[in-house]
Amino acid sequence: MGEVIVITSGKGGVGKTTTTANIGIGLSGLGKKVMVIDTDLGLRNLDVVMGLENRIIYNIVDVIEGSCRLKQALIKDSRFPELYLLPSAQTRDKSSVSPEQMKKLIDDIRDEFDFILLDCPAGIEQGFQNAVAGADRGIVVTTPEVSAIRDADRIIGLLEASGIRQNDLIINRLRIDMVRRGDMMSVDDVTEILAVNLLGVIPDDEQVVIATNQGEPVVGEDSLAGKAYADICRRLLGEEIPVDDYSKPEGFFEKISNLFHRN
Amino acid sequence: MSAHSVNIAKERLKNLLTADRMQCAPEAAQRLPVDLYHTISKYVEIRPEDFNIEITRTDIHIKYMGEKN
Repeated sequence: MGEVIVITSGKGGVGKTTTTANIGIGLSGLGKKVMVIDTDLGLRNLDVVMGLENRIIYNIVDVIEGSCRLKQALIKDSRFPELYLLPSAQTRDKSSVSPEQMKKLIDDIRDEFDFILLDCPAGIEQGFQNAVAGADRGIVVTTPEVSAIRDADRIIGLLEASGIRQNDLIINRLRIDMVRRGDMMSVDDVTEILAVNLLGVIPDDEQVVIATNQGEPVVGEDSLAGKAYADICRRLLGEEIPVDDYSKPEGFFEKISNLFHRN
Repeated sequence: MSAHSVNIAKERLKNLLTADRMQCAPEAAQRLPVDLYHTISKYVEIRPEDFNIEITRTDIHIKYMGEKN
């Protein structure tokens, strides 16, 4: 039976969708059968981040309302093995789907996949309630900023209140240089405050912007963020890989090698 | 001036989270440890340096060192 993971944050713009796409693609690359579901009704984005926006015919509301079969709405990403996207509806609002309908949809399909990733909308209203309804566990994405961490704390409380006990943290867009000079909270600062298991740290990396421009993933690529996402995927499969908090200064060879990679 | 902006961020965040977790105003969140200290000191001989309160998402932990040998 597949594991259903909701990827959430409370605050918008911290990297939920990018994280969903890259974890989904990464897990698929590790031989897992993965479905990613965009639950942000009215603000469809996961398809764009994955570069699949031109292939949408039906969406999640069509499936739930019975206007089409699930197989007709699913988009198979042919670049990756066994990766499927169920897109959101751009012209509907969040009241088009109820938590019960979402839970039923997921219960109907969970046996067919190893992982189902739910890309949750920002906020704590019905969109959040829908996304959380069918989930077994949560991944909370935050950035090292006061507002994002505050919202993450609130979201962890709400996840626990909905009966989701296993919630792991991803710290996104860590600016290593700023942490070193005392102008950004470190990985330790954030985990000490939020007190949940740390699943991974994604350093701020312009490769993410470049890849997203092109509708391509970064996971598995030879960049800081690409490696960090690859590690997260392997941790989700149970491998014990220490989380790099980037607190150690770069070695001489890394500096030289980065110099070459930048060009 | 920005040399330690991270310390300001951490302090503000801790106050915000305490208020959020207790669902009360930040001033009330700051008064609670003081009131608890006074209440406990009615029954137990206690000094501020031996007394510590931690508010998590689900619990309020009150720690005190007790009698020193």
